[in-house]
Amino acid sequence: MEFSWDLVINAIVTGIVLGGFYAAVAIGVTIAFGMLDIVNIAHPAFMIAGAYLAFLGWEDFGFDPFVSMAVFAPCGYLFGRAFYRAYHYFFERRGDESLQGLAFFFGILFIVEIGVVLVFGVDYRSISEPYLESSVSVGFVSVPWRMLVPFLVGLGMLGSVHLYLSRTFTGRTILAVSQDVEAVRLIGANPIRAKEIAFGIAVATAIIAGVLLIIIQPVEPSITREYIGRAFAICVLGGIASIPGTLVASLILGVAEALTTTFYGPSWSPAVSFGLLLLTLIFRPVGIFGR
Amino acid sequence: MGFLMMSCSRKKSKGLILANSLAIEGLHAGYGEVRVLSGISINVRGGETVVLLGTNGNGKSTLIKCIMGQVRPTAGRIVATIDGTSYDLIGRSTEDIVGIGISLVPEGRRLFPKLTVEENLLLGAFREFARARISDSLAFCFDAFPRLKERRRQLAGSMSGGEQQMLAIARALMALPKILLVDEPSVGLAPILVSKTIETIANLKKQLGLTVLMAEQNFRQAIRIADRGYVLVHGQIVLSADNPQALQQNELVRRFYLGVG
Ligand SMILES: Nc1ncnc2c1ncn2[C@@H]1O[C@H](COP(=O)(O)OP(=O)(O)O)[C@@H](O)[C@H]1O
Ligand SMILES: [Mg+2]
Repeated sequence: MEFSWDLVINAIVTGIVLGGFYAAVAIGVTIAFGMLDIVNIAHPAFMIAGAYLAFLGWEDFGFDPFVSMAVFAPCGYLFGRAFYRAYHYFFERRGDESLQGLAFFFGILFIVEIGVVLVFGVDYRSISEPYLESSVSVGFVSVPWRMLVPFLVGLGMLGSVHLYLSRTFTGRTILAVSQDVEAVRLIGANPIRAKEIAFGIAVATAIIAGVLLIIIQPVEPSITREYIGRAFAICVLGGIASIPGTLVASLILGVAEALTTTFYGPSWSPAVSFGLLLLTLIFRPVGIFGR
Repeated sequence: MGFLMMSCSRKKSKGLILANSLAIEGLHAGYGEVRVLSGISINVRGGETVVLLGTNGNGKSTLIKCIMGQVRPTAGRIVATIDGTSYDLIGRSTEDIVGIGISLVPEGRRLFPKLTVEENLLLGAFREFARARISDSLAFCFDAFPRLKERRRQLAGSMSGGEQQMLAIARALMALPKILLVDEPSVGLAPILVSKTIETIANLKKQLGLTVLMAEQNFRQAIRIADRGYVLVHGQIVLSADNPQALQQNELVRRFYLGVG
């Protein structure tokens, strides 16, 4: 595409807005992988579960996507807590988590994807609400609400998680638990309970990210694959366990992808996250906000 | 010496001090097939500082871990009395034991290195009883350790050994314990810091009306603040001394541990 400043500014704005959504996708990986040492590669599976739940809610009950978030995120939280307990019981407790745990999460990813194919088929599914189809324009830049809603919800979610982790006792325990489990016990906290709550939160954020995804674009079952790379790239670039890092890294990835799409075409955009991941590992392995 | 000065505002009445004690009877413990403690009986009475002396590998930490519920004994009893109520500690989780009012400054400090000094301290007040009083406790710790106040935003892992030991002690105090266990506070510190740290513990104990059990291999320093002491060799108590003089004048202790006589 021919270079022009209008295109650059448009791409940057689109990228920032997209980055807010990526932050919503990556926050759960930052919690599970960064803070709990759980390599939850099934995260995108929880996300498409959220997307299809929102589709079901919209089609069968006329749920607005915000209603879907309010209904399904708490379910995701409870499911996540139960799921962590099972994971802990069968893998973590025995010290089997590295390889067998990874295989377990890979299996979950597979099962969810196949389950979605069986129930919904491989066709694209989407939802629409009149307010999502309108746009906000400032000068020559115009952003549709179907992008702005995920951006705003993503930022709100990051802010809430950040406040929870830094201001509450359980939140601080979650920050501490990967550093020294025995020391967590010695302050009088139960590390397993802290991890269980944190994993519940991570799954709830994945469900919300899924609802945001189906607001942005039609979904089909294999869309999970694009998001594994993105979420882990953001997590590493941001500094593994840092919430501000997750935000900055998401915005960087969003802008980098939007610029690539604008000037080289959309087929290059999945490569951007791997490029960023490689650059991070070469030049700053601890990430932007790594401690 | 700024960090030894502290407010007296939280001094406890004598009656409460006497109510907090620890009694261990016939304790056996080990790791799998390895037997480490065989038949330990010791007690710590209210308001005392009791030292548990022994060189490396004799079972001091194992005994401390049994009290904190981190190692499960194979036989024996551990009973803590807090504010006049007795608790059988065996079978309880570490979290429960901290909740009762017993805190440990662990061997190797076990700070959260990637959290700030202040975050480490706030985490110390996790226990329900301590949460309501958290701002008083924080002010007290910053008063007792001005160094920690200066460094409150710094990562715990980036501090010097002496500062980390102060933080470990302060974090344990944030839980407002009645009984404080300290496992080898002198390890890895320069000699000047060792004596400072030992004095700090004695001082805080007095200020807060704590009952203290301290494991040490530095006999000379530990005896300075001891009311009583035990010497542990190969998992058995070989000497029980009712006053610091008895420890200092014991033939064995003088010959093998103090290097005199
Ligand atoms: N986790 C463990 N597993 C097996 N043996 C252990 C473990 N911890 C300590 N020991 C052994 O128990 C004995 C006592 O150790 P410890 O209680 O740490 O002594 P101290 O604190 O007096 O140095 C040592 O012989 C040590 O090797
Ligand atoms: Mg030891």
